[in-house]
Amino acid sequence: MEKINIICVDDEREVLDAVVHDLDYFRDLFNIEACESAFECLELLEELDAQQEHVAVLISDHVMPEKSGVELLTEVALDNRFLGTKKLLLTGLATQADTIKAINNAKLDNFLEKVWDPQELLQTVKELLTEYIVEKGLDYEEYIEKLDAPTLYRLIKY
Amino acid sequence: MKKIQLKYILPIVIPLFILLLPVTSFGIAQMTLVEQRIIAIFVMATLCWILEPIPIYATSVLIIVLELLLVSDKGLWFTQVASPDLGHLISYQMIMATFASPIIMLFLGGFFLAIAATKYRLDVNLARVLLKPFGRNPKFVMLGLMIITAIFSMFMSNTATTAMMLSILTPVIALFSKKDLGRVAFALSVPVAANIGGIGTPIGTPPNAVALKYLTAENSISFAGWMAFGVPFVVVMLFIAWLLLTTLFPATIKEINLNIKGRFLKTPKAITVYITFVVTILLWLMGGVHGMNAYVVAMIPVAVFSMFKIITKEDLKKISWDVLWLVSGGIALGVGLDKSGFAANAINAIPFADFHPLLLIVGASVLCLLMANFMSHTASANLLLPLVAALGASMHSLLPYGGEVVLILAVTFAASLGMSLPISTPPNALAYASGHVETKQMAKVGIALGIIGLLITYAMLYLLNKISFIG
Amino acid sequence: MIKPYLKYILPVIIPLIILFLPTTGFGIEGLTLVEQRVIAIFFMAALCWVLEPIPIYATSVLIIVFELLLISDNGLWFATNSPLEIQGHLLKQSTIMATFASPIIMLFLGGFFLAMAATKFRLDINLARVLLRPFGHRPKYVMLGIMMITAVFSMFMSNTATTAMMLSILTPVLALFSKEDIGKVAFALSVPVAANIGGIATPIGTPPNAVALKYLVDQYSVSFAGWMAFGVPFVVVMLLIAWLLLNHLFPADTKAIKLDIEGQFLKTPKAYLVYITFAATILLWLLGAVHGMSSYVVAMLPVAIFSMFKIITKEDLRNISWDVLWLVSGGIALGVALDESGLASNVINAVPFNSFHPLLLIAVASLLCLLMANFMSNTATANLLLPLVAALGASMHSLLPYGGQVVLILAVTFSASLGMSLPVSTPPNALAYASGHIKNTQMLKVGVIIGIIGLLVTFTMLFVLNQLGLVGGGNIY
Repeated sequence: MEKINIICVDDEREVLDAVVHDLDYFRDLFNIEACESAFECLELLEELDAQQEHVAVLISDHVMPEKSGVELLTEVALDNRFLGTKKLLLTGLATQADTIKAINNAKLDNFLEKVWDPQELLQTVKELLTEYIVEKGLDYEEYIEKLDAPTLYRLIKY
Repeated sequence: MKKIQLKYILPIVIPLFILLLPVTSFGIAQMTLVEQRIIAIFVMATLCWILEPIPIYATSVLIIVLELLLVSDKGLWFTQVASPDLGHLISYQMIMATFASPIIMLFLGGFFLAIAATKYRLDVNLARVLLKPFGRNPKFVMLGLMIITAIFSMFMSNTATTAMMLSILTPVIALFSKKDLGRVAFALSVPVAANIGGIGTPIGTPPNAVALKYLTAENSISFAGWMAFGVPFVVVMLFIAWLLLTTLFPATIKEINLNIKGRFLKTPKAITVYITFVVTILLWLMGGVHGMNAYVVAMIPVAVFSMFKIITKEDLKKISWDVLWLVSGGIALGVGLDKSGFAANAINAIPFADFHPLLLIVGASVLCLLMANFMSHTASANLLLPLVAALGASMHSLLPYGGEVVLILAVTFAASLGMSLPISTPPNALAYASGHVETKQMAKVGIALGIIGLLITYAMLYLLNKISFIG
Repeated sequence: MIKPYLKYILPVIIPLIILFLPTTGFGIEGLTLVEQRVIAIFFMAALCWVLEPIPIYATSVLIIVFELLLISDNGLWFATNSPLEIQGHLLKQSTIMATFASPIIMLFLGGFFLAMAATKFRLDINLARVLLRPFGHRPKYVMLGIMMITAVFSMFMSNTATTAMMLSILTPVLALFSKEDIGKVAFALSVPVAANIGGIATPIGTPPNAVALKYLVDQYSVSFAGWMAFGVPFVVVMLLIAWLLLNHLFPADTKAIKLDIEGQFLKTPKAYLVYITFAATILLWLLGAVHGMSSYVVAMLPVAIFSMFKIITKEDLRNISWDVLWLVSGGIALGVALDESGLASNVINAVPFNSFHPLLLIAVASLLCLLMANFMSNTATANLLLPLVAALGASMHSLLPYGGQVVLILAVTFSASLGMSLPVSTPPNALAYASGHIKNTQMLKVGVIIGIIGLLVTFTMLFVLNQLGLVGGGNIY
């Protein structure tokens, strides 16, 4: 079974813990990583890449010191090694300009507002994970219990 | 406008016309109906590959299907009516098996190696390490780039190699001043090296594989045997191309710095890839020791990479199935010409023996070079090789010059030397797309290299024959 | 509980032991080295397919490569240098490689092209929309409609793709059912059940059928139309039984349901070409006797037409399930090796199968197949069992009054498609299970009942076919 990661980035520890907690559902089949800054996340990405692990979903806060979430997601979007990684921006403080940038440059896959509904976050991540797994051609049957069935039905063509 | 319609009409009308002619009108004694149909299929293939009304791989599929319908033992009912003129029908399994002939398997193995190397970034990392000793002088950096491109394209597809090397080069070329001709040299060096490099091994480019099909029995050439003359040829040509490019387009910039990020992956899977890569190439080179021929060896990486999930179900999709099918069509054409007995028949009927053998070699290879400049190299090889192979086998006057091997190799090499236009090869198209090269510049370099290449090919074949390496 | 590492060790050790035994250790007279190696490869394949240490298609590749290395004329030096009488006959390298493009693979390739074009030009979803209309709104009949359409589609498309499509139509409807309504279970199960059953009807419906074709040769050969002549009635009967069963076990409370499928038939020239080619190919398959082309040659027509008119492009070629084609190739290669090495006939002569009762043999073989198919890939099951029963059937004269080897082969082939009691049994089952509407036990109940009924219907059908003189054995006498 391939190692598949879900990465969460937020500079506030409590928020980060809350996100990770809401994603507990995935823990037995997927690896959930928490980073407190964009730089920590980039380092982790290097490490995961060196181990040839998958980064399926990257969930990031926007307002963070030194490097913003949109900057981080843009960098990842332009990196060939992470083609296909699903990017989710989770923020309450993005201006319209930030949001436009996030959509145009970082090619966001989803946008959730703080404070978020745990159920909605879970469902969103489920769908993004399913998309990633089918698009990458990983064996969906191994992960099927945690995936979103309607998305699966829509994407399986052959 | 008329021209556009012609490209659709001609490939239909001319073969139909040939089909409907009476058998006796071809001027070949004892020609059978099956042979007549093969001629029609051959003409159809020629027209389709030259005019390209349909994708070139679709022409290959069409050849196979028409052979199944018209000259197989399970074809259409009216094609099998007993008649003294019918001739030999070909078994349908044999025609279908061209999709998995040993040559195709050889290429499949090559694709597996290339896909794994790219997936585990062996290619980029090797390029990074190998480029280091070439320093920063533009001239030598270019030499380094060309050598690495050529080596990679011996085992990977020329297109993939070019794409990778150009993506490394693009940021560097952007730093050149607008007027610096060095830009042109760099942008051209990659496709030129990739096109030339492909000649080095049997799996370097599809025409080589097609040629292997006709080099059988006492004429067969092993993987190592091919490299023994292919690699020196590539080295000489690369050197000439380098001199040509640096003289025509000298760089004014003093120093360039290629920046390739990354490090070698060290996961168990990555290490398996490295080992399999090396072992496969070693096994190819030492064919004499272990008894396996190149085709069987090619299946080893296929098994290893599938087993360890290095190439997954999804990665199978990255295989260029269209290229494999394109080659299959060529092989099917060869099988058709051969098994129907047409090849032997036609050669007997036409007095080729009256031609001077050297004239034939030069004529065939120049024709091939010309065709390869305007159409797919593989399609050129698909069309010309079965003809020259039959011709070579029957011409006794060719023997003092090395026999059919010489003729086949001259044509095969010529097929890879067609690179004077953006449409000649996918690497050329990619380089042209960079925007740094004008068509005129590409034509100048391409024509010069094509002609020089042919001359060197002749010299090489002459030498090989003298030392009795071939023929 | 099998220790997890055993699944990696056993497929390596056991074949190695077999390889190193003396040839006399097998109790088969005149066993050659090549035959011994074929036994080892067979065991390796069986263990790999059962334990799945590597992907199932990789096992197929492995079979072919080991055959090339160990029993081909271009194999390893030590495998090809013994005297002929000890070594036995080596296979030709091109014969082994040609299994990647054997006529059966081409038949499937043609099927894939049809299915891809149908999906790309939305023929499938539009047909579903039109065909579902006459079934009204009553849950019972809507379900019948869904099952019939699923079955018809899965005759020509992959069972997995059909299931995914039909479930995506069903999902919004299932969400409207109340929590307690067990009708949901019936609907969610109806699709995979119909897809699994539907695949039986045509030679290209599911890979086991194609594998079976390889062993139905010469006087036993079954044409495309011939297969459908008994396959379709079988599917109709089984569908009806499954429908009654599902309705009985999980009756729906909802009074009316409404399936909403949007869209309209595409009317571009390319779309028309797809419709015509689709219809023409199927017609040509059915009319095999008239035009002289075998179904394998016919299968290549859509391949040529769709490539020529860019209906299937270079990029689409990549979406062909090459892994499925390779999986089947491996099975064919295994059969070729057993056959051409002479092992098949050798073993059968050495083991006293003739003392078994032929009916017992048919029942046991198909039960075993059904059991295996429930736990592993249907194709892998067919790949393993069919070469064995084909050889067995050919040598057992006591089988002749019951229809000969054809009956045995068909019984086993049908059973391979009837294994559907677990989520892991088939990809359609896994997809339906993922919907979350079905419990394991519910799937198990339905799967086991249909499996057993299916076997009984198969036996009956084969008996009738034999009585009518439509299959096999009788004509030898």
